[in-house]
Amino acid sequence: MTTLIVVVGLAVYVLLYLTYGKKLERDVVKATDDETPSKRMYDGVDYVPAKAPVLFGHHFASIAGAAPIVGPVLAMAWGWVPGLLWVWFGNIFIGAVHDYLALMSSVRYDGRSVQFVASDVITKRTGKTFYWLVFFLLILVIGAFGAVLGNMFVGNGQVPSAYILKLVAALILGVLMYRVKMNFTAATLIGIVMLVLAIIGGHQMPINASRGTWMVVMFFYIIIASAIPVNVLLQPRDYLNSWLLYIGLAIGGLAAIFSFTGFTAPAFTSFAPIVSGGQPSPFWPVIPLIIACGSLSGFHSLVGSGTTSKQLESEKHGLPIGYGAMLTEGFLSTIVIISVAGFGLSIIQGAGQDLTVANWGNAYAGAMNASFGAATTFTNSYAAMVDSTFLSIIPTEIVKVIAGMWVASFAMTTLDTTNRLGRYCLSEIVLPMKEKNEGMYNFITNRWIASTIPALIGIYLAWSGSFTILWPSFGSANQLIASIALLTGAAWVTKRQKAKNVNVVLIPAYLLWITVTAAIIWFSVVVLPGTIEANPTTGIVVLIIEIVMLIMNFVFIIDFLKNKDKPLVSEA
Amino acid sequence: MKTIFFTGKGGVGKSTLSAAAAWQLMERGNRVLAVSFDPAHNLGDIYNIKLSHKKKRFKRTNLYLQETDLEKSASEYIKSNMDLLKQVYSYMSTLNFDSYFDILKYSPGVEEYAALTSLEKILKEEKDNFDYIVFDTPPTGLTLRILALPQLTISWIDRLIKIRKQILEKRYTIHKLSGTYDEKGTKLAYTEEEDTVIQNLYNMKDRYKGVQDFIQGENSRISVVFNPDFLSLRESQRLLEGIYDLNLPLGTAFNNKFTEEELEVGNGVEKELTKQYPDLTIERVLLGKNKKTDTYIMDKDLIKSF
Amino acid sequence: MNGGKGGVFTRLFNYLRVFFSAMDKSHRSQVTGMTEFEQKELENLFVLLLMGSFMGVPSPPSFVAAELLPHLEHEIKVLNERAKDSFDTMAEMVGTFDID
Repeated sequence: MTTLIVVVGLAVYVLLYLTYGKKLERDVVKATDDETPSKRMYDGVDYVPAKAPVLFGHHFASIAGAAPIVGPVLAMAWGWVPGLLWVWFGNIFIGAVHDYLALMSSVRYDGRSVQFVASDVITKRTGKTFYWLVFFLLILVIGAFGAVLGNMFVGNGQVPSAYILKLVAALILGVLMYRVKMNFTAATLIGIVMLVLAIIGGHQMPINASRGTWMVVMFFYIIIASAIPVNVLLQPRDYLNSWLLYIGLAIGGLAAIFSFTGFTAPAFTSFAPIVSGGQPSPFWPVIPLIIACGSLSGFHSLVGSGTTSKQLESEKHGLPIGYGAMLTEGFLSTIVIISVAGFGLSIIQGAGQDLTVANWGNAYAGAMNASFGAATTFTNSYAAMVDSTFLSIIPTEIVKVIAGMWVASFAMTTLDTTNRLGRYCLSEIVLPMKEKNEGMYNFITNRWIASTIPALIGIYLAWSGSFTILWPSFGSANQLIASIALLTGAAWVTKRQKAKNVNVVLIPAYLLWITVTAAIIWFSVVVLPGTIEANPTTGIVVLIIEIVMLIMNFVFIIDFLKNKDKPLVSEA
Repeated sequence: MKTIFFTGKGGVGKSTLSAAAAWQLMERGNRVLAVSFDPAHNLGDIYNIKLSHKKKRFKRTNLYLQETDLEKSASEYIKSNMDLLKQVYSYMSTLNFDSYFDILKYSPGVEEYAALTSLEKILKEEKDNFDYIVFDTPPTGLTLRILALPQLTISWIDRLIKIRKQILEKRYTIHKLSGTYDEKGTKLAYTEEEDTVIQNLYNMKDRYKGVQDFIQGENSRISVVFNPDFLSLRESQRLLEGIYDLNLPLGTAFNNKFTEEELEVGNGVEKELTKQYPDLTIERVLLGKNKKTDTYIMDKDLIKSF
Repeated sequence: MNGGKGGVFTRLFNYLRVFFSAMDKSHRSQVTGMTEFEQKELENLFVLLLMGSFMGVPSPPSFVAAELLPHLEHEIKVLNERAKDSFDTMAEMVGTFDID
């Protein structure tokens, strides 16, 4: 079954890429051989063309993260079919389209970001909204990933140990590459060796600490990592992460194909099983909040229109890079679903949880969370899947550490970069305050205050909140940005492209907006009251964020509808 | 070669004293150059001779005289740089240098720079030609700014050097890892030897350090000139404070136009000054006039040798 | 001279070579990406500090700037580019700093 789904998934993606994707390229984006900004505005600084495979690698590495792994694990509560359908068709018809349009509209706008495009095709106010939404997203992502990491580190002490060793390896690699200026290939080899040693070392020397301890450690890690120069830690560490990604993908892909195991998880449990906050969660509209990045992610529009668009060598490369990279990420989520579908049940049962095919709908979320947490459920299922193939020569415990490191690494890169960005967004948000209340403005933008606010709120949420609450709230901010970005793409297609079949984009965009809005309302009304009761501060903080985002969301759609048939802001 | 700067408020008689000092030094057998930086040039009037920015020999003596037109050299300097920039950036429309040209003529700092450049030039070119160079300076504020300029410039240059080194370091790293770093044929420098910018910065630093070291050194003196009145006192205190802050060596201070009527006030002023600056030597000076020859006579030797 | 088999292997070999060369290039750009961003910003900063005097910002004496400017063609280009982009940097930073 695992093999079957892998093959079917691959086929679905490839087929629809060649048919639907090409159609988008031809009729909607109308990709030409015109010079892209990377050539037209070449400046050797920002605008530099990159060869397609290189840019693909870069773009894919930027959008790949821990979210496409964690989300689908939670979504298994609906059974494996609904999540899979969203990862396939949600991705193909909405998510990848979103990425592709954000990229191409940016290319046509001289490499300007989706934020800028939005302020031209919709209104200036929409552009400003991005600062707020990104800021909230940064806080919530620290909360969500902090919770994921906390659970994972407590569940398996080998993982944090291996991760810390990997940090040391990154520091050493940084010195080798940037100080000693060792030959790059040599440094890479040493880096890979150190990575392997870190994995083995972590396995041999687990670190056991309480969840609270990990929260404190993560808080200080965020503060420190966002202050030290990028050459010391960030850059070499991101490089090591790429190798980890290759290893993880390679092993996972092979295992999925050669596993030939049947699924033990039910295909479909019910329309509204228990997913978030112990509440029955209807598949529509909640699914986007759960599986965010594997199918659709607002982050990607920023990445694509922020750096990728300025380096695109040819408009024809947009489809494989913008559309294709997202499909690849969907494929990654497919493998995640396969591994949990095939091996999750026995693993969770093995932890003493009362989970069966019959009570899956009601019990899965709780049992998964209580036994291992989403990340470790994945790593253990992944390890089991690998074990069921010829790859079982690799000790299972080691495979668990590899998979755990993979998730941890990507989650941690999120943590330390969010603070840098959070500071920036915060200063942009409070800028209007400067005239009216200069004292408050100076306070908030003070270097130390601004550095700690996002991290503080985020880690507090992670510490006090439950994963099944924090994850959908992160999803909500992410999907809101995505729906605005997709509507921006739709507006661009309508106003700038004047394509005939705009509905191909417009209808999914509207549907997405409605879905996300409904999901957030549902979340605030059904789930959050319980949270407020259990943990008032956490619940109220999240609720306030959701409400502010919702208000901005409604202001946005009104702006969108009002300006739908008006000319561009720049041409008005 | 030694230098003496005569400083003080406008009207206290520093031009006269510097002119007299120059003459006296020459009479003692020295080769002397008297330079005026004061925009209100009196040097030529005192010696009754037309002067320019080129040094001119006085009659057949070993005294040379020069009046530097700060405003003229300031605008010349600006013009030459603007011409160069206009040429190099002819294709750049963003910064409209043409319209900035006129504004820059009056921008603060250019007069100081012109003075500094003049000073640098004189120190460099005339150090072997003369035993003493006597300077008549502009009013207090401008003089203090001129004297502070070398150090200020050096501080800025140090900061810029620091940033430039970081830039070169990063370029080198990228070069090492990604291969040659150049765009459309222009190669970017990534070592200090190849980087004209940092070489220029080092160069500038050396030049200004040269001037700085000289005026702080044992061959340089600053003489403050004041009158026996309390207005003069305030100004002198300002000047002395500035000179102390800049670590510049003080020469004799002159209580000029000191007559019998001013005795009490004069004493009071001197007392204030010596209270604050106990190491200060003060000389009372009164220029007498020989009515018969209609020339001025100085009753004492202004400059003791140092 | 088995044309078919040799052809396949050479094609495969070439394909792999291109693949690994692309991967290598991608890696090299990955380990210099943020450094390039920093370098850009430092060059921008350097010229900004120098030029400030032309725009009324307290900065080094303008003559220092005037002497150096003829040698700073590249940096001034960076200044211009960054000035044009300065209001639209959020997405670029999201892309440069690997958030996801």
